[in-house]
Amino acid sequence: MAGYEVPRKFPTTVVGSYPKIPPAMELIKKRRSGELSEEEFRKLIKGPISEAVKDQIEAGIDIISDGEQSREDMVVYFAERVQGYRPGDWVRIFDNVYFRKPIIVGELKWTREMIVEDWVYATSISMGRPVKGIITGPYTMMEWSFDLKYGDRRELIIELAKIIRREIDELVARGARYIQVDEPALSTRPWREEAELLKEALDVIFKGLDAKRIVHICYGRLEKIIPYILDYPVDQFDLELKNSNFRLLPYLKEYGYDKELGYGVVDVHSLQIETVEEIKGYIDMLMKMDFIGPEKVYVDPDCGLKRLPRSVAKAKMRNLAEAAKLAREEW
Amino acid sequence: MKIWGMVLGGFPRSRYARYALRDRERGVIPFKDDVEAIDRASVQVIGAQLAAGLPVVVDGMIDWHDIFRPFVDAWRNVTVDGLLRYFDNNFFYRIPVFTGEPDPREYVTPRRVLRFKEVADPATLKVVLPGPVSFAFMAKNNSGLSNEELAEKIAYILRDEAKKAIEAGASLVQVDEPFLADIDATRDHARLAAELVNKIVEGIEDKAIVSVYFNVPEPSVFEELLNTKARYMMVDVVDAPGRAEKLIRGTGFGSHTPVIGAIDARRIIDDKPSFVEKFLKMVDAGVDEVVVTTSTWLDLIPFRYALRKVYVLGRIVEELAEKNGYEAYTIWR
Repeated sequence: MAGYEVPRKFPTTVVGSYPKIPPAMELIKKRRSGELSEEEFRKLIKGPISEAVKDQIEAGIDIISDGEQSREDMVVYFAERVQGYRPGDWVRIFDNVYFRKPIIVGELKWTREMIVEDWVYATSISMGRPVKGIITGPYTMMEWSFDLKYGDRRELIIELAKIIRREIDELVARGARYIQVDEPALSTRPWREEAELLKEALDVIFKGLDAKRIVHICYGRLEKIIPYILDYPVDQFDLELKNSNFRLLPYLKEYGYDKELGYGVVDVHSLQIETVEEIKGYIDMLMKMDFIGPEKVYVDPDCGLKRLPRSVAKAKMRNLAEAAKLAREEW
Repeated sequence: MKIWGMVLGGFPRSRYARYALRDRERGVIPFKDDVEAIDRASVQVIGAQLAAGLPVVVDGMIDWHDIFRPFVDAWRNVTVDGLLRYFDNNFFYRIPVFTGEPDPREYVTPRRVLRFKEVADPATLKVVLPGPVSFAFMAKNNSGLSNEELAEKIAYILRDEAKKAIEAGASLVQVDEPFLADIDATRDHARLAAELVNKIVEGIEDKAIVSVYFNVPEPSVFEELLNTKARYMMVDVVDAPGRAEKLIRGTGFGSHTPVIGAIDARRIIDDKPSFVEKFLKMVDAGVDEVVVTTSTWLDLIPFRYALRKVYVLGRIVEELAEKNGYEAYTIWR
């Protein structure tokens, strides 16, 4: 990327989402209620995106995101833009908190760009830093939607994969070099048949793609799913490790892990800000295990930062970047 | 063979119940108003079950935030912590934290039975309890007891809970052990669960159900669980039908009355009678009773679809009884 050189060792990045910066939530609500058109929304959401980008640059992140300021939710956002979905009824997530689980009622079809405009804008203000193109994966879209149309999970996931591929093709055509597909739902069902189902879909999404291919997986039983996903057609797995106390690392070594690793070193569910020394220690721990080189390690948070206060999110990123800088000198 | 249907567990909240709970949390309405909204929703779901002809109904547990919470609230030496994903669902429960030996301040289910049994008439009420192994192993245990000891303490409280629910008029007591279908569940967990369920249902074995859902338990786990003396044994056959078939053909239900979780409680599409029938055919030789139920609680789908599922359940039981010459047991017969 012209104007900015991503470090060869321990580049830093983010998983994607960032705390919603006012007035992002208000704009999302107004667009949904029809008070704002999609065009007006796109114009106004640039304010929060620019703030999110600024925070990442100031913190020293090398490969940034648009902060997902347009997205109220990782599934609903796409469901609102793919033909064949209709808004769902309320389903409880915890306590008395709900989300509108979308419903697939017709043949799914890509009809318009969904994330390209935000990516293009973020890239225009990134001061040369690459911006990841980030999209919710087909397995998660399938599992976190109701299906009244297909009835066949394989058929459904392949249709979703084709739509995602179409969107990714648009991004790559505009110059995106890093493409990340988020699959948090996969680790909740750590069975071989589920992993194989996603592999088929990823073949559709990534085949022949001229960009870095990344899959983000978090929480759940990662150690159970790892043996089944090592042959996925991706360059990098971006994994949550800090929250689960890095218990996955011995498994990665045991399985002869040889892809790049998005190394989650800060806990996005904790308000406690990991110190530079702590994060550097996590990087050292990985290096001492001697199964992966520093060129293959992308240092990042466990998951999206959206649930944290902005000041905490930024402080975590800053310490992460500082720790990576120290690690580059040593390894 | 006698066949009947029942809903496995709780229902989602109606819009009014949702709003009422929200408003009470915000302090906008007094406690009694939210109780009234919950009662209305409970009556609605009981009504839906009666309309479907189900002879045994649940009150819907509309006000339960998760399966553990009402018991956490009712016991001393246990509180709640952060959220944890509830198996493979996009739903999170608050982790119970045991800081000492649990000690009941009050019982949860008997008063519910007293409140709703007349509404449920001519059907009878079932109460649902969290299994002691699921409770202990899905909690944070800072009690100083081992997990096994903690599970045993929980079981003793649940034994009293079950006894009092039956005295209040419940016809069935269900003990849910979803943890036993988890990938980490072992034969030892199942052995402990069977032993503790036997304590809970002592003296009411004929009115007791054990249920395992969200996945198919490993055969070795299920074999151990079959040592429970509860009359009914429920298995979720929807999540992984192939493995469920293998389990039923290989291990079977022992001497227990099969409860087949064949109505998909996590998807909103109408269930096909042929799917349910396939599993009924696997068990109908040699048993004189079988129960068809939902694959798990209905609280993971929207309210209106939960009501629809109840209708579908009732209709499928009737249809399959007529088609196969089974004796349908409903509130009408």
